[in-house]
Amino acid sequence: MNLSMRGIVKSFGANKVLRQVDFSLEAGEICALLGENGAGKSTLMNILGGVLQPDAGVIEIDGMPVSFHSPAQSLNRGIAFIHQELNLINDLPVYENMFIGREIKKHGFIDHKEELRQTRALFDRMEIAIDPTAPVSSLDLSYRQIVEISRALMMKASVIIMDEPTTSLTDPEIERVFDMLRMLKKRQVGVVFISHKLREVMEICDRYVVLRDGAAVSGGLVKDASIAGIARDMVGHDVSMEALRQSGQMDREVLRLEDLTQEPHYRHMSLTVHGGEVLGVTGLLGDGRSELFRTVFGDGGKYQGKIYLEGKPVQITSTRQALALGIGYLPRNRKENAIIKDMNILDNGTMVTLEKFARFGLISRKKQLESFDRQRGNLRIKMGSPFDPIGSLSGGNQQKVVLAKWLCTDPKLLILDNPTQGVDVGAKEEIYEIILQLARRGVAVVVLSNEAQEIIRVCNRALVLYHGDLQAEVSGDAMNESNIMRLATGGITEEEKAQ
Amino acid sequence: MTEKAKREGFFTRFVRKWQSNPLYSTGAVLLLMILVQTVALGFDYPDFGTWFANWGKNWINILRNNAPVGVVALGMTFVIISGGIDLAVGSTLVAVGAIMMVLINGNANGVLTAVGVTGTPAYIIGISAALAAGCLIGSVNGLLIARSKIPAFIATLGMMKICRSVTQHFMQTAGVKVPKEFRAITNTTIGGEIILPILYWLVIAVLLYILARKTPFGRHVYAIGSNERAARLSGINVERVKALVYVLSGALVSVAAVINIARIGSMDYANAGSGYEMDAIAAVVVGGTSMSGGKGSVVGTVLGMLIIAVMNNLLNLVGVPTFLREAFKGFIVVAAVLLQKKERAS
Repeated sequence: MNLSMRGIVKSFGANKVLRQVDFSLEAGEICALLGENGAGKSTLMNILGGVLQPDAGVIEIDGMPVSFHSPAQSLNRGIAFIHQELNLINDLPVYENMFIGREIKKHGFIDHKEELRQTRALFDRMEIAIDPTAPVSSLDLSYRQIVEISRALMMKASVIIMDEPTTSLTDPEIERVFDMLRMLKKRQVGVVFISHKLREVMEICDRYVVLRDGAAVSGGLVKDASIAGIARDMVGHDVSMEALRQSGQMDREVLRLEDLTQEPHYRHMSLTVHGGEVLGVTGLLGDGRSELFRTVFGDGGKYQGKIYLEGKPVQITSTRQALALGIGYLPRNRKENAIIKDMNILDNGTMVTLEKFARFGLISRKKQLESFDRQRGNLRIKMGSPFDPIGSLSGGNQQKVVLAKWLCTDPKLLILDNPTQGVDVGAKEEIYEIILQLARRGVAVVVLSNEAQEIIRVCNRALVLYHGDLQAEVSGDAMNESNIMRLATGGITEEEKAQ
Repeated sequence: MTEKAKREGFFTRFVRKWQSNPLYSTGAVLLLMILVQTVALGFDYPDFGTWFANWGKNWINILRNNAPVGVVALGMTFVIISGGIDLAVGSTLVAVGAIMMVLINGNANGVLTAVGVTGTPAYIIGISAALAAGCLIGSVNGLLIARSKIPAFIATLGMMKICRSVTQHFMQTAGVKVPKEFRAITNTTIGGEIILPILYWLVIAVLLYILARKTPFGRHVYAIGSNERAARLSGINVERVKALVYVLSGALVSVAAVINIARIGSMDYANAGSGYEMDAIAAVVVGGTSMSGGKGSVVGTVLGMLIIAVMNNLLNLVGVPTFLREAFKGFIVVAAVLLQKKERAS
């Protein structure tokens, strides 16, 4: 099925989100839809998926004009939208998930046998190695993606829209999803691939379209394009890819861990972080890095081993205590862990320090605003009024608000878990700049990331974890992608072992 | 200011600002009901003065009768914003009421009378004990919910059963008399009217409004109700705040108990406060507070309580049969929430 969208216009109030956008997709093609947050990608795809209606423009399937007023209509015409938050019921087995809402019935009861048979048939055809009777909760994220794609196929989808499918996946998992996409291609299914990760786009996509400020600014075959070129089109100016890292002084110890163990997450972790340096910690999913630093922030439960802060032994048992000790923590998965969606920007950006602004028990609005405005200027947060809801900001600006909340506390140690997750290219650069600025001011910064690129760009040195064990420390020239990948996947040399 | 904003009059601007307020529909419903109620009250009076005096008296009646449950609803607001629920308020009220009555009992078998403490000192001790008991019951609820992670519905359901049953058992032969002087707490007239319960309710509402909006504790309650995980990772002591919310609720129930006992001069242990939990929840919900937590306001709860109160009064005035009145209450709760849902969607 060939799809084309022409002259799509969409406004929200006075805000023109899409201005005359053209987009097309052929059968068996994987097309990347790129752009910064707020460029209009989601709006365009929500129109295609029937979630939103365009103000002007036409959508054609095989040359016939169509219009969708609901996701169901769009799905009936073979267009499936797979959102970032997967839409599966974790406690039900895979095959039942395949038929949620459209159960096959026999005498009014669900025909489990038939559902199972059809699921098996589809999995065989697509060469998917998942047990249809396993509960979804037992699958890792990549298999869940695959289940969701299969469900779309079960509904006879011939166009699948995927919104940042790889954000929370590890490299082997990403490969698994990509195999599935290649299979879709073979079966003449068209895929729209929304992503921020250009390296993946280069690997899997045939064609790309870049949106900027609601207009399609460039596009073409991926094989004729370069990452630097596409990145430039996305932000509208050149993006540097070279390392930003600076040499830190390593004389003032801020955090030292001695033989920290928490089964089954991590074991025998010993490390030191100094004031003024950026320490990277990386690995694949299940490496235990997030759990390790949750422990340091007092949110990890019981552990064995010792934690020293500025040379003094501490036993950290609550987030409140960690805060009092001068530790800041930006968690991964902003939406679940950091954003308080019912509160405004100001409250979100000062939640940690409310007590500090209180006089006779009452929060001084003036002090609160002063403190937030300082960070807001420093972090260059683009926003309207501080009393607007937090949801009115783009992902990058939301992340900066979360960061602002911690900078208000003047932390000695700042732990950043996936700081650029769901953040566009421009904001990413700004966040890197902020990290380096903090280090220059003497803060000890720990960056946890699954993107080797990120680690290499901002960190002085990096620790690579593998299944809860500390593999090795890399720095200087040894801190490169192939080395990190080798260590993260479990490869280690005798020399590194000796360290 | 833009040209357009300048051109539109004060009134239009006022209306527009009001419409963007989350309490818009609640306020509008209340105004409408007051209008209908005023009409139902009739204009069959010789002059405006007598009409107004009568209208005012009716209002004082409404507010006074609803003050105790209004106070309970204020505590319930915090509980619901934090993402919980407190079903124990009604039976906590009889439990703390009973404790206080035993202490201030004017008969010879009164606990304090027996040791020679009577009058104001006895009342102070009695009220303090009631407050302490309310806080204690609240803290048991709070600890069960926050520390032992028992769902609020279950923990407070259990407490509800325990409090009423134990109170009824111990009070069946108590024979308690509330001293006349104690009743002055609510029955002292101001300008010839008994309005003290209303004033207590108002003062507490103002204090709690400030608590919700202006203190770290209040903001933390909202944060926890909206996203508990994010609140914890912001260094908030989630368990402590959650438990304190139930302590606050318990303390306010004690205040309601004092008002109730002083007003009536006795307590019916089987029925006093029963249905308070549902009336309080209804007021909170009609006032626009979300049952899933994180959203809501003290002002909304006061408005919600007034809506329910005015409706009761209205049903009375137009002579709706007693047994049908609860149905109207049910109707207005569901209708109010439907209305708010619609508003949020548009």
